[in-house]
Amino acid sequence: MKRVLGNKKAIALFVVPALVLYTILVMVPVIWSLYYSLFNGSPGLNWEFVGFDNYLKLFSDKKFLDALSVNARYISVVTVGQVGLGLLLALMFRFWLRRCKTIVRTLVFFPVVLPTVAVGQLFAKIYEIQPSYGLLNSFLDSVGLSNLVQPWIGQESTALAMLCIMDIWVAMGFYSVIFYGALLDIPEDILEAARIDGAGSFQMFRRILLPLLRPMIITSLVFSFSGTVKMFESALALTNGGPGTATKSLSMYMYDVSFTYNKVGYGSVIAIVIFLICIVGSGVINMFDVKEDKR
Amino acid sequence: MKKAKSGFKGLVIFLICVIEIYPLFWMLTASLKQQSEWSEYPAYALNKGFHIQNYIDAWTRGNMATFFKNSLITTLVSLVFIVIFATTVGFAVTKMQWKHREKVALFFRLGIMIPVATALIPLFQIYSKANLLNTRTCLILTYIAFGLSLSIYLVQGYLRSFPDDIMEAAVIDGCGIYRMMWHIVVPLMKNAIVTVLVLQFFFKWNDLLFSMTFISDSSLKTVQTGLLYFSDEFGGKNWGAIFASVSMSVFPMLVLYTALNKKIMEGMTAGAVKG
Amino acid sequence: MKRRVLAAFLSVAMMASLLVGCGSGSNSGETAKGDAEAQSWQDADYTGEDPQLETKLKFLTIWAEDNDNGILINKICQDYKDNVNPNFEWEYEMVAADNLTQKIATLSASNDLPDVFAYEAGAPLRTLIDADKVADISEVVETIGVEDSLSESAVALMKGLSETDALYDLPLGLNVEGFWYNKELFEKAGCEVPATWDEFEEVLKKLDAAGIQPLVTGGADKWLATRLINAYAVRTMGNDIMTKAANGEADYTDEGLVAAAQKLADWAEAGYFGEGVTTVDANTAGSMVMSGKGAIFYNGSWFTQNLTDPSQNPAGEDGIGFFNIPVVDESISSATSYSMNCGNILALDKAKFNEGTAWFLKYFIENMGNAAMEELGTVKGYTYTTEAESMDSYTKLVLNEIDKATEGFAWWEAKMDAELSKTAQENVQPLLNGDMTAEEYMQSIQDVYDLNK
Repeated sequence: MKRVLGNKKAIALFVVPALVLYTILVMVPVIWSLYYSLFNGSPGLNWEFVGFDNYLKLFSDKKFLDALSVNARYISVVTVGQVGLGLLLALMFRFWLRRCKTIVRTLVFFPVVLPTVAVGQLFAKIYEIQPSYGLLNSFLDSVGLSNLVQPWIGQESTALAMLCIMDIWVAMGFYSVIFYGALLDIPEDILEAARIDGAGSFQMFRRILLPLLRPMIITSLVFSFSGTVKMFESALALTNGGPGTATKSLSMYMYDVSFTYNKVGYGSVIAIVIFLICIVGSGVINMFDVKEDKR
Repeated sequence: MKKAKSGFKGLVIFLICVIEIYPLFWMLTASLKQQSEWSEYPAYALNKGFHIQNYIDAWTRGNMATFFKNSLITTLVSLVFIVIFATTVGFAVTKMQWKHREKVALFFRLGIMIPVATALIPLFQIYSKANLLNTRTCLILTYIAFGLSLSIYLVQGYLRSFPDDIMEAAVIDGCGIYRMMWHIVVPLMKNAIVTVLVLQFFFKWNDLLFSMTFISDSSLKTVQTGLLYFSDEFGGKNWGAIFASVSMSVFPMLVLYTALNKKIMEGMTAGAVKG
Repeated sequence: MKRRVLAAFLSVAMMASLLVGCGSGSNSGETAKGDAEAQSWQDADYTGEDPQLETKLKFLTIWAEDNDNGILINKICQDYKDNVNPNFEWEYEMVAADNLTQKIATLSASNDLPDVFAYEAGAPLRTLIDADKVADISEVVETIGVEDSLSESAVALMKGLSETDALYDLPLGLNVEGFWYNKELFEKAGCEVPATWDEFEEVLKKLDAAGIQPLVTGGADKWLATRLINAYAVRTMGNDIMTKAANGEADYTDEGLVAAAQKLADWAEAGYFGEGVTTVDANTAGSMVMSGKGAIFYNGSWFTQNLTDPSQNPAGEDGIGFFNIPVVDESISSATSYSMNCGNILALDKAKFNEGTAWFLKYFIENMGNAAMEELGTVKGYTYTTEAESMDSYTKLVLNEIDKATEGFAWWEAKMDAELSKTAQENVQPLLNGDMTAEEYMQSIQDVYDLNK
């Protein structure tokens, strides 16, 4: 047994190719970014060493702070929405649905398969107001709520929310299927025992399901979080960061800075900030996990 | 009373299905509309005729055929490698016995936290110097590298509960490591592999950041970048053709997904996304 | 076996990345080589027969092969290959217009510019000129002797845009900009074409009172909205106001410029643009004017592309008219000063320019004028000898306006660098929505200007 599992050659064969690829294309660029962040301009054109100036610039850069705030709001709403609604859907499938389980689950999962840009264009048309009302506005108009008709993605007050709705719509089916699997693993007799003890639906959820689902919820949150931190594709496709910079995320700002303004050094600093947010955020979510273990 | 309650439940489920599906149905009708229908009728109106020209436009002028091929090639090739690497590395760091396996596992896990944006600029430089910009190779390499961390993590989670005695029995039967891997471990990991496949498929299929940065040649663009730039120099948009392209990009997915639906659902529900 | 192949492949990848590490050192070498080649092309004699050199050119543009300039470029390449030089090969690549500047910027950073590429005139091109990346077209044109084939006004315009004595780019269009209006709607509201700004404001009021949406603009594409600010700014402060601001002789926060931004905000506030103007793209805005959903649309003469297409233009051949930006004070900016624009331009990589390219360019410049007239019925900034067989009324209209022009001025962002122009465009949306005041808008531009000074 030990001889087989300790086979050096096999280990090398299993690990080294992936390790090399991963190191070169993932880890090296991250370190490289750190190095770049100490420079001004872009390599090849006006490249000069400026030390930590780029980092200091962050704090007075209003566009950066705006993007940071957009990202923060987006992450909190979308993460909670995707995971929360996913859980809710899973509960419904498990306890309400008697027939057509597979079909419903299939349908709900379906938006996950769509290319993000396609979804963006679809929703842009749904939210449309000029020259003719899109799906949402014409619906509101026809049910007599015409005072609610508004440029949903054309105004700062609603654009980000509309983007969040779109992204929740896309991914909630995905999380519902994951949670559904976890719910199926909970033995029926535990639920039955709780029912006999007279637990209501809500109590059952809190006392029994929630603790059992906890690891799943945390994994899903981390998952959703790392997906939302990068916030790029969907915002680009739906609003292109607009109106103004109301839906411009850190990744989009970084893209502008590095590739449009040609300030690769400063762009690298923003990239590093995104990295730090990722580390800190996941750490925070994982803290709940650790607490559970210790108890 | 009970009937009313189940009726209510049915209604809620029905509404959910409508919310999920109606936009897609609407997109299909929209793809068959003529340009003028957009302004003359409300958006929810059904298409007045079957304006197939949109599809022809999208397929020929919009290059959807090419975009599709590119997306499929890059996604599928990178998926194959991701699965191979994820199972071998996952197995090596969880089940095999060697000195630095914990460290290596941690090193790979770090990658989950790395946002793709962070590596974008240096990667661009690397590919530019290696003359790999504007090739499928650079996309595939990037996809593989960035898909590894999460996949390995998922496989590890699954393998931890993998019974050692099966392997022991195999070793006693005289199995070498490679045969054991192929004939015993891989078949038992089917669910985990499906999970990895499904997850990574969506990530890769939906990638925009990498493909729009590394690919400018229109004959190499993927569906995502292709769709994004379906407008001309001064911002013109032909909505009918856009939705025709979108529908076209959706349908193969729908077919593939319906065909594999059972496997996917099994993999996802019974699979390894269990932390 | 497969494993071994993979391992070999990976080690190649690793080598490559190691090489990258010391890549920056080799740049100087490349440039030197480029210079050596550049020496040789000037010595050749371009008066005789084409020597049929083996030449392969890579084009990077923003037009599909079956669209606009894409047609022209490919046709000329094909003709050149068929009729003159069978050893000529070309590769045609297209990127999205939005993506062009970043693509070129990154390619130039890695010394990998395509031989011929579309680019933006003004500040973006100026950056490349200053970095010595693009070929000096004046020198080329003189050496190969095709000065007469370029239209003088286009050359003057382009030199003005890059503020250089020499020419560094080739025109791909000669456009005037101004207001397109729906004649039927004007008639309905009893409006005359305005000549002065006050009359223009009257027209807007009248249209609005008649229940017609007076203006449309592509707020989603942003640049159409900033053109309106530019229009008023130029008419009240002079043709060169934006150049002055870019050079630091005037501030972006000058009262006059704030007033121009205020003009746009006021129109939006009054509902002249309809609802959700920031979600309307250029094409939608154009079709709104053509279908009579809005009365006036500021756009360039490239709009004739849509106007001449009957499937797009229900207003028909005579349904849409044009007027130049109305005058505020004739002594500040005259009625014959037009906002002019050469569209996206073509530039050539300096390092790779050689004799073969020069020969091709000779053919290109000599034949572009006629090809444009024959294929598309438009003027591209080259002299032409043929008349289009059946020139439509809109094209005639534009040619007529171009003839009237005595002076040209550039657009709002022409002299701004990438960051400044992005700021000016992005913030025009909150300005339209009323989330930003005119002062704040101009201040946001000034802030970026100060930051990068």
